[in-house]
Order: sequence, then structure tokens, then C-alpha cells
Amino acid sequence: MRSLPFLLVTLVSGAVAGTILGIVNLGVVEPYIDKAIQLETQNEIRAGENVNTDEMAGYRIWQKSGEIVGGIVYGISLSSLFGIVFAYSRNSLPGNNVKVKAILLASIMCFVLFIVPSLKYPSNPPAVGDPDTIYYRQSLFVAFLVISGASALGVTALIKKINQTVSKKVAIACTIYGAIIIVSYLAMPSNPDKISISMNLVEAFRLVSAATIVMFWEILGATYGTLWNRFNRQNLKKVTAF
Amino acid sequence: MRMSYTRQLLIERPDIPRVAIGILVAIMLFGLFSVGFDQGQLFSLVEGKEAFDSNWLHEFVHDMRHAAGFPCH
Repeated sequence: MRSLPFLLVTLVSGAVAGTILGIVNLGVVEPYIDKAIQLETQNEIRAGENVNTDEMAGYRIWQKSGEIVGGIVYGISLSSLFGIVFAYSRNSLPGNNVKVKAILLASIMCFVLFIVPSLKYPSNPPAVGDPDTIYYRQSLFVAFLVISGASALGVTALIKKINQTVSKKVAIACTIYGAIIIVSYLAMPSNPDKISISMNLVEAFRLVSAATIVMFWEILGATYGTLWNRFNRQNLKKVTAF
Repeated sequence: MRMSYTRQLLIERPDIPRVAIGILVAIMLFGLFSVGFDQGQLFSLVEGKEAFDSNWLHEFVHDMRHAAGFPCH
């Protein structure tokens, strides 16, 4: 595929999936964020802090207004990564249907880049994170993300060189990747912040937000596969043989 | 009786545009930093130290940052 259609397919699919994610989050994740911020504000008032509720309300409008734009930026940045991986791996993915291949790759990337890191460092609503530990927590999160992503990439490169059946290759890949993740999970420090709000709220937030991110990846894969099929036809060189 | 036939083959070009890959890497890094990690750094390039207090961009993508699982305050 040439540069322009390739970029178009990649960025448009990310923007579509990101827009849907933002809209869905406004409906299903925002109530949990509102509730957490409400609890945080109540705790601050109880602790004797001076809280400007009008300023807080203004902040919330600003924060909510960025949900869809944030979703689009998030979608485009992850679809950029997805596009690169798909461009290099599409011939190695099983099957002949490009759409199915794209959905399969999106599922794998969702597992490696979201679900696995979330097992060690799950998402938290506002009122949980301590501003003083933000850079430390970001470092831990990125480290685990890189370990998961690099391991998946390394294992994929390794099994390509092994002369085995597909099922054995998959078994070897899963075993090595699983072993690396288990060791990393046990070796890496936990999130240092204590959770001082209701665990029911935190768990519900984690579950709902994870569901929307999984949905995002599946929409990204399906949209990407559909657009790839549509635009790639232009790049098929017709050869007539007699 | 002489038979003749025409066969059409569709051959996919295997090349991956490297310029496009480079553009996507740049977009990915900038986008992920903006949504997931910025604490005022991007706007401090034009706004100075004040950007770390106002955290304009951080607050704008605040809810998406939480929902996407990135660490936040």
C-alpha cells in the first residue's frame, strides 16, 4: 500500500474507534469518575481544606469536554502503532481474510498492551493517585508496558525461526511470554498509593473502563480491516497472462 | 479445436512505505505522551513554568487518562 492510503486507513480507523470510545466513556465511565471526585472533595472538606466548589465545577466541565478529543488522540496514537505492526505482520497472521487478521491482531495487542499491564497496575479513578508519586508510578507503568510489548515482539521473532508446527510454535510463544510476565509481575514493585475510597467503586470503575478499552481495540481492528480492504484494491497490480 | 483462455493474477506489492512508518511513530509518541503522561511539559515549551501549575492539557484529557488506565494524580 502506498503512503497516503496507508496513513489514511491508519489514522481514520484510530479516529473512528477513539471517537466511539470517548462517546461511550461519557455515558458509562463518567458517572464513576464523578462519584470518585465527589468523594475526594468530601474528604478534603472533612480534612479542613478550603475547597472552591465553583472552581471544581468549572474544572469538571473542562475535563469532561476533553473526553472525546482525548479519545480521538488516544485512538490515533494507538492506531499508529497498530498500523505499523499490521503492515509488518499481516502476512504472518493466520487466514486469508484481512478483516479477521486485523481483529485478531487488535485482540493480541489489547491483551499485551492493556490487559497484561492492567493486571499489575490497574486503572484507578480520581481520588486514588497521590500527586507526589506520579512520576514513580508512570515509570513503573511504562516499564511493565515495555516489558510486555518487547517480550511479545521478541517471542514472535523467535518462533518465526523455529521449525515446528503452528500449534507448537503458539505453545512455545505463550510459555515464554507467560514466564517473562509472571517473573516481572512478582519482581516489580506494587503501586505505592493506598486506596482510601470504597473498593466497590474502584473495582466497578476498573471493570467498566477495561470493557470500553477492549471495545475500542475490537472496533479499531474491524475498522482497520474494512478500510484496508477498500483502499488496498487500488494497489493491486493487475497482470494478465495468456 | 483450439482452446484459449485468459487468466488474471492479482499481485500485492510487498513494500511498506518507510516515510509513512516514520510519521506514524512520531504521531504515536506525541499522542500517547499527550494523553497518558503530560504533566505540563508540552505547554511549558510556550507557557513556561506556569504550565506545570495550570496543567491545561493534563486536565483536558484527564478523564480519558483515567479511563485508559494511565497513572494520574
